[in-house]
Amino acid sequence: MTLTSVLLVAAALVGIGLYGALSQQSFVMLMMGLELMLNGALLAVIGLWSFGLAGAPEGQLLAILVMAVMAVEMAVGFALVVAVYRKRQADTTESLGTLKQ
Amino acid sequence: MMGFTATDALFAALSLAAVVAGWRVFATDSMVRASFLLLLSFLAVAGILLLLAAPYIGIATIFMMAVEMMVMAVFMVMFMMNPAGLNPMMMVHQHRLSIAAGVIAFLGLSAAVLLSDLPDDPVDPARPVVRDLGHELLGPSMLVFETAGITLLATMIAAVVLASRPGRYGPSDEGSRPPGLVPGGEPAGRKPEDDQGEGGGHHHHHHHH
Amino acid sequence: MTTALLSLAALLLGGAWMAAVMDRLAVAWISGRPAARAFVEPLARAAGLLLRQPVTTERPDATGRVLAPALYLALAAIGLSVVPVAEGVVLTDLSTGIVLWGACEALTVVVVFLHGWSANAPLPLIGAYRYVAIALPTLLLSMFVLIAAALPAESLSVTAIVDSQREVWNVVRQPPGLVLFLMLGLALTFRGPFDYADPEDLAGGTAAETSGPARAAWQAARLCMLVAVAGMASAVFLGGPLGPWLPGPLWLVLKMVAVLALLVAATHLLARLPPSRMLTALWVVLLPAAFLDLVLVGVELLL
Repeated sequence: MTLTSVLLVAAALVGIGLYGALSQQSFVMLMMGLELMLNGALLAVIGLWSFGLAGAPEGQLLAILVMAVMAVEMAVGFALVVAVYRKRQADTTESLGTLKQ
Repeated sequence: MMGFTATDALFAALSLAAVVAGWRVFATDSMVRASFLLLLSFLAVAGILLLLAAPYIGIATIFMMAVEMMVMAVFMVMFMMNPAGLNPMMMVHQHRLSIAAGVIAFLGLSAAVLLSDLPDDPVDPARPVVRDLGHELLGPSMLVFETAGITLLATMIAAVVLASRPGRYGPSDEGSRPPGLVPGGEPAGRKPEDDQGEGGGHHHHHHHH
Repeated sequence: MTTALLSLAALLLGGAWMAAVMDRLAVAWISGRPAARAFVEPLARAAGLLLRQPVTTERPDATGRVLAPALYLALAAIGLSVVPVAEGVVLTDLSTGIVLWGACEALTVVVVFLHGWSANAPLPLIGAYRYVAIALPTLLLSMFVLIAAALPAESLSVTAIVDSQREVWNVVRQPPGLVLFLMLGLALTFRGPFDYADPEDLAGGTAAETSGPARAAWQAARLCMLVAVAGMASAVFLGGPLGPWLPGPLWLVLKMVAVLALLVAATHLLARLPPSRMLTALWVVLLPAAFLDLVLVGVELLL
């Protein structure tokens, strides 16, 4: 287990997540792609903290912030999905051509 | 430096699990199964974080993600036409482009990792990392931490505002009007336009003089 | 290590049997029936379940159905493994033991949902769905309460939390904590007032379509989780193996039996609220109460 190998795994997770976020039609699946990218980011942050920062506490702080970002993304994402579904009965990206009411 | 240790084997297995589960998320035909697979990917990453000497972050990831994926699965069952995966399903668009983007992102990041000069200053195993984190959160970085907390509070309020149907002055998706300036008076604020139709104002055309 | 492993297995098995016996005794006591067979009846019923043929539903998630009881049992074992059985004897001596317990709680909710969802049948899914809505806020209760219990110890390690109770047990310092934690225990094992997953009104809920060995494993795992909750409550609020005269492990067992008795009594004596009212009670009353408990402990420690 070296820093290079950890970062490569993180890169793979980000790549798969990007594929998911771009390819999925359903909002919730799209959000899964975003989550997977953040998963890779979390791994990269802790990898760099563990191997490159001699355990400086700011690295862990950054990981906590990544988790907060995940929570915000989920909450706002689902709230938007609910709002859009109420308005248009839509749960896929294709059904939203416009943001007009 | 050293041979292939037990840690290396564990890391390899967890990495494989994280990546394969992450890929299967977008290849399974059930959305609930997809959220379970995403959870599996997160759990594998949490295992790697534990190997990386981050006992708090690693376990907190398990905790956070278990709850988050549970909420995701609940939304899956609520919204999706095919929650349990009884019908084969493939709901994708711009598929080739997405694959290309994913591959390019992976290759680009890998190239950056392999070509850059990575720092080498590993964490001391004896270091009290959890204590460090606590002192950092409520010490030098308190402002950052509190900002994250306030952001989460704002998120909660925003999510409720977006998602709740009954607003203070009537259903939120029908357009709301504030009450009149005098009791029973005409609603304050902008008047609804005529072409807005039924939705705009059930309550707004009753005048009591 | 070996001692800790063996004592963990003994605690889980013995505790699960004891909890099942207590269940029978409670029913016998309430209904006035003779309690003579209470000690063998759980074993006889388990044997009966093991011999019964397993049923299958239409297109279930086979992996999930097999995994759910096994994972539930594993979570109970991992959760209990952070509890010190005697002074200095603990299987998982993590500096963040209490966070690991919290992760086990969260994953338990996931596993119960997995159990209900994987059957691909209406009643199990309703049970699972309803359970998640109630169990997630209940989880938050235990987070506040456990942080409050960790405050006097200034550590997230369960060993340190037990050590911090040498002078006075946490249940004396923060009595609401134990009550709220036991509520979470009932929710994790979906018993009595918190039985939203496998209740009678859903014909067994998540287990409605499960029979045979899988049903036996599921019931056993529920009892084991109850034992894990009792172990954690004893360690965090009742000083775990600490106590005068008697040896440490015996103290732990006595405390666990007492907590189990409380939990079983609550199972059979308290009624269940309708889910919507329980949800309101959780968010509006119990969650602020848990937060107040945390604030009071913090203020007390500052003074």
